Amino acid sequence: MLQSKSDIAASPSRHMAGAAAAMLALAVFPSSAFAHASESGHVLLLPTGYYLAGGALAVAASFLALAWLPPQALERIWQRKQPLGRFGDGPRTVVSLLSFVFFAVLVAAGFWGSRDPLANPLPLTVWTLLWAGLTLLHGLFGNLWSWLNPWYGPWRILSPLLGRHASARSRLVEGIGLWPAVVLFLAFAWFELIDPAPSDPARLAVAAGGYWLASFVAMLVLGYNQWSQRGEFLGIFFSMVARFAPLERKDERLFLRWPGAKLLDTTPLPASGVAFALLALSSVSFDGLSKTFFWLGLNGVNPLDYPGRTALIGIGTMGLVATFLVLAALFLLALGLGRLLAGPGARPAPAAGLLVWSIVPIALAYHIAHYMTALLVNGQYAVVALSDPFARGWDLFGTAHMHVSAGIVAGAHSAWWLWNCQAGAIIIGHVLAVLVAHSLAYRLYGDNRRAALSQVPLTVLMIAYTVFGLWLLSTPAAG
Amino acid sequence: MTDRKGYFDLSGPRLSRRSALKGMAAGVGLAAAPGFVRYAQAQSSEPIRIGFQSHRTGIGAAYGRWYERTTSAAVKAINDAGGINGRPVEIIIEDDGTDAARGAEVVAKLANQHKCDIVYGTLFSHVVIASAPTAGELKIPYYVVSEGYHVASGKLNRWCLQPGITDVRAQVTSVAPWIAANAGKKVTQIFPDYAFGYDHRDYLPPALKQAGAEVVAQIAIPPTESSFTKYFPQIPSETEVIYHVMVGPGVLTFVKELGDFYGSSGPKLFGFIDSLEAVDINSPGLEYLEGSHFWEGSPRYAQPDDTEAQKAYRAAVGIDDNGAAAGDPKDVSTAAHMFGCWETLYVIKKAMEDAGYQGPQDRAKLVEATEAMTEFTEGPEHPQGRKLFNGKIHQVFGSQFISQVKDGKLNVVHKTTIEDGMYEPEADYTTQPL
Repeated sequence: MLQSKSDIAASPSRHMAGAAAAMLALAVFPSSAFAHASESGHVLLLPTGYYLAGGALAVAASFLALAWLPPQALERIWQRKQPLGRFGDGPRTVVSLLSFVFFAVLVAAGFWGSRDPLANPLPLTVWTLLWAGLTLLHGLFGNLWSWLNPWYGPWRILSPLLGRHASARSRLVEGIGLWPAVVLFLAFAWFELIDPAPSDPARLAVAAGGYWLASFVAMLVLGYNQWSQRGEFLGIFFSMVARFAPLERKDERLFLRWPGAKLLDTTPLPASGVAFALLALSSVSFDGLSKTFFWLGLNGVNPLDYPGRTALIGIGTMGLVATFLVLAALFLLALGLGRLLAGPGARPAPAAGLLVWSIVPIALAYHIAHYMTALLVNGQYAVVALSDPFARGWDLFGTAHMHVSAGIVAGAHSAWWLWNCQAGAIIIGHVLAVLVAHSLAYRLYGDNRRAALSQVPLTVLMIAYTVFGLWLLSTPAAG
Repeated sequence: MTDRKGYFDLSGPRLSRRSALKGMAAGVGLAAAPGFVRYAQAQSSEPIRIGFQSHRTGIGAAYGRWYERTTSAAVKAINDAGGINGRPVEIIIEDDGTDAARGAEVVAKLANQHKCDIVYGTLFSHVVIASAPTAGELKIPYYVVSEGYHVASGKLNRWCLQPGITDVRAQVTSVAPWIAANAGKKVTQIFPDYAFGYDHRDYLPPALKQAGAEVVAQIAIPPTESSFTKYFPQIPSETEVIYHVMVGPGVLTFVKELGDFYGSSGPKLFGFIDSLEAVDINSPGLEYLEGSHFWEGSPRYAQPDDTEAQKAYRAAVGIDDNGAAAGDPKDVSTAAHMFGCWETLYVIKKAMEDAGYQGPQDRAKLVEATEAMTEFTEGPEHPQGRKLFNGKIHQVFGSQFISQVKDGKLNVVHKTTIEDGMYEPEADYTTQPL
């Protein structure tokens, strides 16, 4: 009797064709469904189609405007700097040591604090404050991680004892580029997006503690600078994002610049660096994509009866890699077509290495849009949890009993605000990306007409990615 | 470090709401903490450890948040009144990620690693169904607040109990007489095309028939659908009532498009509040619901005739008269379900007292003591109302509420009798060995 009640096969649905075996196994039981109407329900009622069209137009218009603008004038504006004073390196070791102590306490809390991922400070700090929040701060203030990373301080103390120097180079990693970081970033993205329980405090403590230890050993063996620049993916990601920041520190002096202007001072990235930047963007994009009704329907998963992460490990792994490959293929295709249009002049590899920097504003925009709600709500949980990291009834900062306002992101009004901020971030990010790409292309070709021609396919890709980003935020999604 | 804050001194009302709920850290942390020694020596005052399998992340997180708050409030109330058998209650939360496979792992973790006395709390059917075998294998009582018919159906096992919330079959069955008598005799059902919708598809027609009404059409909507207007022409013109149980982000669009389709006329609407749990009934797009009726497991809005117990419960959990978090009016609660956490914890308390529960060796006695229960009286421990418990199918039966949307609020217009939702039991867990 039960089977006949819930036999999916007996109720054909064109969207649910080919339901996965796991789903069928679950479907033999009757079910109560509690798929929450959620905030995306309010967004579905907004005129999001206009935003998609408007965003595409804005990016296209920016490109056209740039094509007519004298590049020298643009370059002059972009290169303007406002000195802000001196900013030395003095406390760097102390700050990093404090950061290390904080990190150690967090890992200990992961093992011995509350089991609740919304009461334990480790997952809240790693996923919300660090990954979602600190990335944004890098986009504003520059490379904070070079100070805040929990390795530099301990390394400074330990390395003299072992006779190591910061610039020591090991032949082991020569010519390896950023590939270790690419592999580690992929592992990180997999853990965040695919692993069944990345917020489980003890599981995360093992992962984060293990990563710290492995990186520290690598820094001691291979050299601090070597590993920081090749393997420590967080530092590499943050330093890429920091290129967008309006603050610049050069020779211990601080300057205010236009957002994104620092991207123009860059040198071409090697192939591994191109892969790293594209992976950073594609993983956040896939996180959004993987929850959409479109993706779930495509994979035969009922989004209203979402089975949980374990059942989707295979699909997710495949999707994460496929998203990266598709984005990389499109990016390289756009550059190749651009070369055909503009004629010879720029060699392909340096061109890709240089133009990939234009991805940074887009990656940052996706990051803002994607993690905005998590940051607003889980950020509050983090403030509560940090006040009592070991669930012992402490109230270190007077916030242990603070009420977490989930209402801050709830309701139609909040949904309107969030959507507009997210859409704004996505569109501005892409407009800036076009601007950066255009300036970099001018550097490659030294001729405005050819630079513009070379950018036509990449601009088309950016317009498409704008629409894709806005669609991700406005289409029905599970959870 | 000494126990100056008294955290490990859990024997009395000093245990704060938060510290009770945050629970101890991993078992290893507890054992290593100096204050623990006292309890190791004094068995009788050691906390009763209730493992809370919680939807902290994943698709059920909005429900999880309110289940957590309700659990927290109930545990505080229980501890303030002296705990269970003179022992404080401690909640150990493990996140199941609203993930079926993870749910089973969490049950094992709570039992083996955290040495919990029982496991309690989860909501989503797929998690319950996947976790139940583990609870059975480990012989640990598993009290769910799930609303699914899976417990009463006999498909789980003797260690799984649902004493704090009625099941969907009873809910559907009990609203049918009211619909037939007050809304209309010809009903069209619109439901999502999967198991949840099928419960409504299958249980409503016989109940309506018995009440002298009939289902004239059943319209199943594909779960990935986000535009609904094209389905509305399938609604027969003779329809007097549309019975809708749509869920997911498309609900607001569904209601708006239904309103656009019918304008100011159209059949009456009867829905299940599951569609709009944790969603403000006054949201843009929901205007067409004005005047329509909903099933509620427990009223979201404060009612003029609320009992003192209901008022005390709402205050303890921290919801205002509109059913939102006190001081955070946009954080709308899952009122129709979360009361089940409160009531389940009081059933556990009563069962542990009846069984003289001392520790894991008494788990079987605890199950038997729960099965032996027959009636829960309305009051502070059961603020939703009086209930009858069927020990054979491990399922509780109670009244349901039918509320009308009026001036942007849900006003209760009818309370069903417990008998309205009764059905012939299809199982007997008590025949299974413990």
